[in-house]
Amino acid sequence: MTQLNLAVIIKLEPDFSEGSVSYNPDGTLNRAETKSTLGPHSAVAAKAAFYAKVRYGARIAVTTMGPPMGEMALQQAQQTCDAEELHLYSDRIFAGADTLATAEVLRAGIQKLEDKADIVFSGHRASDGETGQTGPQTAWKLGYTFFGNVIDYHVDVQTRTITIKRIVSLQGFYDVVEEVQAPLPVFIAIDPSYKATFNTVSERLAYEKYQKEAKIRADNYKQYLKVFNVQQLGVDQTLVGLPGSPTIVYKVERIPKGKANRKAEVLDGSNPEHIRKAVSKIKEALSAMVIK
Amino acid sequence: MEKYDVAIIGGGSAGLAALKQLSNLGKQAVLIEGGHKVGTKNLSGGILYSKKPKRGKVFNVEDVYGDAFFTDKPFERKITSYILHAASKNKIYSMDLTAAHDYEANFGYSVLLNKLNAWFAKQALESAQKLGGGIIPGVHVNSISWDAQTGKTTITTDELEEFEVKAIIAADGVNSEVAEICGVRPKFTPSQLYQGVKVVVKVPEEIINERFGVESGEGAAHLFSGDVTLNHIGGGFLYTNSNTLSLGAVYHFDSLLSNPTDPSSLINALIANPYVSEFLKDQIPLRKEIDKSLPQEEQMRVRFAVAKLIKTWYELRDAALSPTGRENLIKSGKYSSAEEIKEKLTFIQDQLTQKYGVSFVTDYNESEYGAKLIPDGKRCRMKKPYFKNILFVGDAAGRGIFIGPRIEGLNVGIDDAVRAANAVAASLDKNNFELKNLGESYSFAVEQSPYTKDMTEIDKDYLKIFLDAAKDVPKDIIGSRYGPIIKLMSSGTFRSVAVKFANILGYDRLLPMVESEDTYVKVPILIAERLGKAVNSTYLPSIPSLAQRIAKLNYDDDKQSHIKVIDNKTEFMKKLTILCPTKCYTLENDQVMLAHEGCIECGTCSQETDWKHPRGEKGINYQYG
Ligand SMILES: Cc1cc2nc3c(=O)[nH]c(=O)nc-3n(C[C@H](O)[C@H](O)[C@H](O)COP(=O)(O)OP(=O)(O)OC[C@H]3O[C@@H](n4cnc5c(N)ncnc54)[C@H](O)[C@@H]3O)c2cc1C
Ligand code: SF4
Repeated sequence: MTQLNLAVIIKLEPDFSEGSVSYNPDGTLNRAETKSTLGPHSAVAAKAAFYAKVRYGARIAVTTMGPPMGEMALQQAQQTCDAEELHLYSDRIFAGADTLATAEVLRAGIQKLEDKADIVFSGHRASDGETGQTGPQTAWKLGYTFFGNVIDYHVDVQTRTITIKRIVSLQGFYDVVEEVQAPLPVFIAIDPSYKATFNTVSERLAYEKYQKEAKIRADNYKQYLKVFNVQQLGVDQTLVGLPGSPTIVYKVERIPKGKANRKAEVLDGSNPEHIRKAVSKIKEALSAMVIK
Repeated sequence: MEKYDVAIIGGGSAGLAALKQLSNLGKQAVLIEGGHKVGTKNLSGGILYSKKPKRGKVFNVEDVYGDAFFTDKPFERKITSYILHAASKNKIYSMDLTAAHDYEANFGYSVLLNKLNAWFAKQALESAQKLGGGIIPGVHVNSISWDAQTGKTTITTDELEEFEVKAIIAADGVNSEVAEICGVRPKFTPSQLYQGVKVVVKVPEEIINERFGVESGEGAAHLFSGDVTLNHIGGGFLYTNSNTLSLGAVYHFDSLLSNPTDPSSLINALIANPYVSEFLKDQIPLRKEIDKSLPQEEQMRVRFAVAKLIKTWYELRDAALSPTGRENLIKSGKYSSAEEIKEKLTFIQDQLTQKYGVSFVTDYNESEYGAKLIPDGKRCRMKKPYFKNILFVGDAAGRGIFIGPRIEGLNVGIDDAVRAANAVAASLDKNNFELKNLGESYSFAVEQSPYTKDMTEIDKDYLKIFLDAAKDVPKDIIGSRYGPIIKLMSSGTFRSVAVKFANILGYDRLLPMVESEDTYVKVPILIAERLGKAVNSTYLPSIPSLAQRIAKLNYDDDKQSHIKVIDNKTEFMKKLTILCPTKCYTLENDQVMLAHEGCIECGTCSQETDWKHPRGEKGINYQYG
């Protein structure tokens, strides 16, 4: 079986837990010194990649752009997906990058991986103001087919094709699941609802094995870590950081609330048939609730 | 369909030993365990023995796991003193039975199964993975089938696709579903079972050392009879762990049925005994009622701060009162000396008292409540522990030693597991899994085990230890009931004859005589009253309610109940409203209703219910076990 190579792009989020936060003398948050943690969407992306490790024994690389403290998040991702290569793209020049400039750095980094990536994963857009464009833009720069909102995927390693399931919202009302097949390489932005399932004994055995390996690797993550500055990445300095960012955020506006999408049914309280209906509805709702 | 050589069902200490032994022999096996992690479903007393019988050989824990067992120390303390007490009210009479503990033993370590089984799993997994096998937690086996033509064995689970195996080792515990699936034996009956209930109590290491008169690493086992049994056949135990105590009660199920008593009150009877409660006591922080006139936010802040400080105080104190704890803190660079640790502890304590009005009182600190059935091998060991290509080991085979205070299931399960693994390995070599080759050869090997002899015959030398220990007890107390027996047994020449005679009579006829209320309740009460010394409690332990005990347990609730009541009006089911250790059964309009959410999977109700283990990962998660 030929090897399947994956890359996971993760996004750092400042870790506000005790002892991780660092402040500047003026009392403002020192982002560079504050430890970073793996954002929840990135964690899902790492889990999605781990699925391929379990199913296909894939080789995984995790990459990110950020300050030196970003390596903590890479370590966390490694513990999730048992990566054999970690990339941190870190340079003062990268600061202030918008999505396009970030995509340029990620493109260059991914092309520097030891093995050419067959699938690149990214999380769904992050919570802190990202527009969700980094993924598509990186895919475009890499020349990879892009799929968003992916909830499931399978690879035919021999024919180098991937079958994915993705959620498509039609006019914001109906979610339909679309199944698509494509030749590798592809870029996948994973949906937050993604959940890997392992249904066979061999998958479960592999799962346990790689989890154990991941723990050992993450304990020695420095061994797998490569840090690149702008020269080492060999990117055009005019395409990265602030100079490479054509967009500026000048104002943030709240999005007006959409009309509620609820259906109401009027029941007659004196009609036993209606009451039965109400009870069964309540039961249905309750049974779907998780009571902790 | 995926194919594997061997499946082991159940990851308790028996199943794990089977996996390790098969791996040691170079054979591939997968172990399926229902709990989300190995060790979360298992409960013991417990003392893990390693034995050296005068005749024959048993396979011990160190034979399976090697020296790593001694270097990694997944156990608690090495038991060096073993004492039987007769209790009545505040009077206690103690007999040193260390000789009985040492009898034919290399050692006996106190253990907590969550930690011990996790360690076993780590060792077994490492070897198993090299052979393409391993451990799969969070999966519940629900069916096994054999193809009528090919004889192929297929295992079905709630979670995974079916898979095929050549042989199965059933190590699924006392409430074995595998035994039921294949119909190899009926469920164990109350007369064949004991119900064990246990709480884990926190006490710092050096306080345990001082109180029990032992060094770090060494420990004591105390056993209780008399009024603390609340008139049941069986007794109480108190074992020292590193920085906890295991306090438990083990009673014959028949005796509980004839005089229903709720399991938690059996534990409470022990705690209320002043001799016991003095062992449990510790310093406990008591929070002050929060000033309700303070602004909401301030109330929250105080509650949070106090909770956090108390947590730190507990952790630091536990480390400060332990030689290794102090060493680790100093090694970590957080503290430079033992004095500094002590100072910090005093500082936190002062903060709690001065700033937040916390007071420190004498009480005890209970952390985990649990219960499980225990098979009495004398009465229920499977004479032929196999069915087709399935071999039964440990509790699933009803193999446990129950003689007086001697409860041994862990070591027996390990011995069974090695014998089963050896038989399976030989069958794999010959690629022959017929009864003659696999089942019967395992059955033969198990019959050869000295443990089987312990389940079928009286050992006169072991008996003599008890007679020697009781020699100071006036003859008239032991009374007319045991008088002649004692006389016979006390003399060397007659003892052999008497034991031979008794063995001819057989355990079945002898047991009701020995395992009686006289032995466990009446005689001990008499002894304690006449010879015992008075002990007075220095505090009143605040015993948690059952609701508080359950609230401390960790569950992964399953919406779907794993137990189905068959007839909710039988006498047995009605008694469960008392005998279920977590009160899952209630009586409504003369009908028994089940609320399965609090179930700790002890198996007590299994006799008259459709009883299954919960689906993978669901149900109780013991932290100590
Ligand atoms: C209070 C008490 C005190 C005791 N004291 C001692 C003592 O001092 N010394 C001693 O040696 N012994 C003692 N014992 C007995 C001893 O604890 C048991 O004999 C021993 O733990 C049994 O081990 P096992 O592996 O056979 O079964 P278990 O530990 O019960 O393991 C069975 C495993 O199988 C899993 N399982 C069951 N069904 C399925 C299924 N269908 N699919 C997947 N997994 C499944 C369960 O989750 C469980 O993990 C005591 C027991 C109790 C309750
Ligand atoms: S419901 Fe049955 S198995 Fe569960 S705790 Fe109660 S008696 Fe034990």
